Amino acid sequence: MIALIVRRLIRVAVVYVGVSVVTFSILHVSGDPVALMMPEAPETDRAALRKAMGFDEPVARQFVRFIGNTARGDFGNSFFHRQPALRLVLERMPTTLTLTVMAMGLALLAAVPGGVYSAIRRNSLVDHAVTVVVFLGQSMPIFWTGIMLMLLFAVQWRLLPVSGWDTWAAAVMPALTLGAFSAPLLLRIVRSSMLEVINLDYVRTARAKGVSEWLVIGRHALRNAALPLVTVAGLQFGLLLGGAVITETVFAIPGVGRLIVGAIRQLDFPVVQAGVFVLAMIVVAVNFIVDVLYLYLNPTIRVL
Amino acid sequence: MKRWSTVAIAMLALLLPVSEARAQGKDTLVVALVSHAPTLDPHMHFERVGILVNINMFDSLLHKNARLEYEPSLALSWKPLNDTTWEFKLRRGVKFHNGDVMTAEDVKYSFERVLDQKKKSPQYGNIRAIKEVRIVAPDTIHIVTDKPFPLLLERLVFFSIVPKKHIEKVGDDAFGAAAPVGTGPWKLVEWKRDQYIKLEAFDQHWRGKPPFKYLIVRAIPEIATQVAELKTGGVDIIRNVPADLVPDLKASAQVYVSSAPILRVHYVEFDMRTAPFDKKLVRQAANYAIDKQAIIQKMMAGLGHQVATVVQPAAFGYDPEVKPYPYDPKKAKELLAQAGYPNGVDITLHSAFIEFRPVFEAISQMLTESGIRANPRIWDPGPAWNKFLQTEGKATNGYYGSWGNYSVFDADAVLHPLYHTEPGGWIGKHYTRVEGLDNLIDEARSTVDQAKRKRVYSQIQRLIKDEAPGLFLWTQFDTLGISKKVQYAARGDEWLWLFDAKPQR
Repeated sequence: MIALIVRRLIRVAVVYVGVSVVTFSILHVSGDPVALMMPEAPETDRAALRKAMGFDEPVARQFVRFIGNTARGDFGNSFFHRQPALRLVLERMPTTLTLTVMAMGLALLAAVPGGVYSAIRRNSLVDHAVTVVVFLGQSMPIFWTGIMLMLLFAVQWRLLPVSGWDTWAAAVMPALTLGAFSAPLLLRIVRSSMLEVINLDYVRTARAKGVSEWLVIGRHALRNAALPLVTVAGLQFGLLLGGAVITETVFAIPGVGRLIVGAIRQLDFPVVQAGVFVLAMIVVAVNFIVDVLYLYLNPTIRVL
Repeated sequence: MKRWSTVAIAMLALLLPVSEARAQGKDTLVVALVSHAPTLDPHMHFERVGILVNINMFDSLLHKNARLEYEPSLALSWKPLNDTTWEFKLRRGVKFHNGDVMTAEDVKYSFERVLDQKKKSPQYGNIRAIKEVRIVAPDTIHIVTDKPFPLLLERLVFFSIVPKKHIEKVGDDAFGAAAPVGTGPWKLVEWKRDQYIKLEAFDQHWRGKPPFKYLIVRAIPEIATQVAELKTGGVDIIRNVPADLVPDLKASAQVYVSSAPILRVHYVEFDMRTAPFDKKLVRQAANYAIDKQAIIQKMMAGLGHQVATVVQPAAFGYDPEVKPYPYDPKKAKELLAQAGYPNGVDITLHSAFIEFRPVFEAISQMLTESGIRANPRIWDPGPAWNKFLQTEGKATNGYYGSWGNYSVFDADAVLHPLYHTEPGGWIGKHYTRVEGLDNLIDEARSTVDQAKRKRVYSQIQRLIKDEAPGLFLWTQFDTLGISKKVQYAARGDEWLWLFDAKPQR
C-alpha cells in the first residue's frame, strides 16, 4: 500500500512538470510578451525590459529558472497590482474553494438520493422526471443558470441578494448554480452503478437474511456503487474550479477565477501563471486524495 | 404551500446577517463599477474605474461642472503669464481628511511625485511637459512648461492634490492600499478588494457636505448582474448600459436611464499606403456608403450622434460648418467606378472592438453593397494589437475602432494620435498619408493663442473631410441606469461626480 502511494506521488511529480511547461508556455505562445506589455514604447525601452525580465536568454534556461522560481513560490509581481502574483492568488483561494466545496456538497446531496431512488424505482414516474431534469441540467451553461436563478430568486421573489459574497444568503445562488452544473452527471453515475449492483447475488443474499431495505441499499449496495462516484466526483472537482471562474464573474464573488479573468484581459501574465498553476495543483491534490479514498473503499486494490 | 414559503423566507431571513455594504439607508448611495483599480492612490494607475472613485475623494486645481465648464476647485483663479508659464492662486484653509491644511507645498509635491520617474507613475506622460512648479507666495504657484502646452488646463482637471507630510509618513504603498487622504467630499472607511469601497462624507470639506453621507462603490463585473442589482435596489447607479438593455431598463418602474454624448468617436481608419485606399475617390466612396443614422437608430438604441470628422462637437476646435457625408450609395458606386473599380473591389477590415461587433458587421455589409466588398475580422484585443503593431498595420486595409481623447476636450487629443505620422503617434504613423496634415497639427499644438488654434483646426477639418483618411461615423453616448430614489444625470466626460447626486424627494 505504501508502494502504491509512492507510485502515485511520482505521478504527481510528473504532472507538476507538465503543469510547469504549460504555464511557462502561456507567456510565450502569444508572441513577444514585451511587445504586449509596452506596445507604444520605443525599442530601447523594450530592450531594457527584455533584459530585466530575462527574455533575452535561451528559452531552455528561462524554463529552468522558471521551475526554480515557482518551486520557491515566486511567480513574479503582478504588472497590474504591483504585488506578488502568488499572494494575490492565495488570498482569493479560500473563497473559490469554499464556493467549489459548497457546490460539490449540494451536487452530491442531490445526486446520491436522486440516483439511488431512480435506480430502485426504475422506470417509475419519478425516474423519468429525474431523467428529464438531468437532461435539462446538463444542457444549461453556467452563466445562463446563474442569471436565471438571479432573475427568479432575487429580482422576481426578492428572497436572496443578487450578488456579492458578504452573507451566507449571497452564497446560496452561486453554490446552486455551480452545483447544478455538476449534479446531473453525478446522478447518472449513481443511478447506473446502483443498477449494476442492485441485482447481484450479495444484495439478494442480504435481503434474504432479513436485513432491512435501508441497510441493504445503504451499506451493501451503495458502498460498492460509490467507487465510480468517487472517481467522477474527483474529476468533477477540477471542472467545478473551472466553472467557478464563470460563477464568480456572474455573481461578483472575489475569488481566484475572477482574478484570472481580469488578469487575462490586462495581459497580467504572472497572475495568470500563478493562478493556473495553483488551480492545477489543487486538481492534482484532489485526484491524489481520490486515489487514497479508493484504497479505503475497495480493499481489493490494496493487494495490487 | 403558502405556509411553507413563509417558513422558508423566515429561515432565510435568520441566515441573513445584514452586512455593511447592504445596510442602505436614505443617506447611502451605491454605485456599481466593473472592477476596482489596483490602488486608491490617484497618481499610481490609469484606470477609468479608479479615476471615478478618486475624483470623489481628491480634488484637483480645477474642476468641471456638469456643463463641462471650468470651475475653481483648489485653485481659485488661473492665468497664463506667457507662452510657457501659468499662475494659479490657491484656495486657502482647505483641509485634508486627516485635518492638515493644504498648502502650496502639497501642490508642488503632487506634481513632483508624478514627474519623478523613479516612482513610475502611469500618469507621467500626461504632465511630462511640466518643467517646474514654483511657489512664489504661500497661495500662489507658477507652473512652467518646456514648450507651449495648450492642454495644461485639461490635464489639471484630473490631477489630484495629495498631502505631502502624510505620504512621507505612511509611505506610497500604504497610502494607496489603506490610507488615502485627500481634500474631496468623501473619505475612506473600508476597502474590501473586488467587493466594495465604503466612503463617508468628510465633514470639513470646503464645498460643504455632500447630500449622501455614505458612498459605496461595489465591483460587479457582469452587466446583467448590475442590472439585476439596480432593479432590486442593491445599487443605485450603473454605467455603460449596452444599447440592447436600454429598453428593459426604461420599462422598469424603479429605474430611469440618463445618457450624454461623450468624447468617444467611432471610425474606420484606412491604410492609405496601399490599394485601394491610396485613392481619394475610394475613401470618399466608403464615406457615402454608410447609412449612419440607420445604424445609430436601429443598433445603438439612438444613443449616438453623427459627426463630419473625428473632431467632436464637445472638443475645442470643432467646426460646425463642416458637414457629415450624406448616405448616398449611388454616388459611392459612381466614385468607385471613377477610381477604376467599376466591378467593385475586395478588402479586409479588422477590429478589436468586441462590444460593437454587430455594428462592425453592419458597416462591412453596407460597404459591400456599394461595391467595396469588405471582409470583417474581429480579434481579441491583446493578440490583435500585437499583430497590428508587428506588421505596422499591413495586416488589413482598415481598422474599426474608437478613440476616447483621453477625456481631453481638445481637437489635438484625437488628431495627433489618429493622423500624425511622427513616431510618437498612434495609428496615424502607419496609416495616414495626407500631405501637409502633420504641419497643421504641429502648428495648432505650438501656441496657446486659442483664436489661432481654432482657425487651424477648421482648416484641418475641411482638409480631412475632403481627403477622408478614414470613415467618419459617430460619437458614442454614455448611458447610466439610475434608481428613481436618486437624482443624477450622465456627464459628457463620463465622470461620476457624485457630489451632484441627490436623494429624490
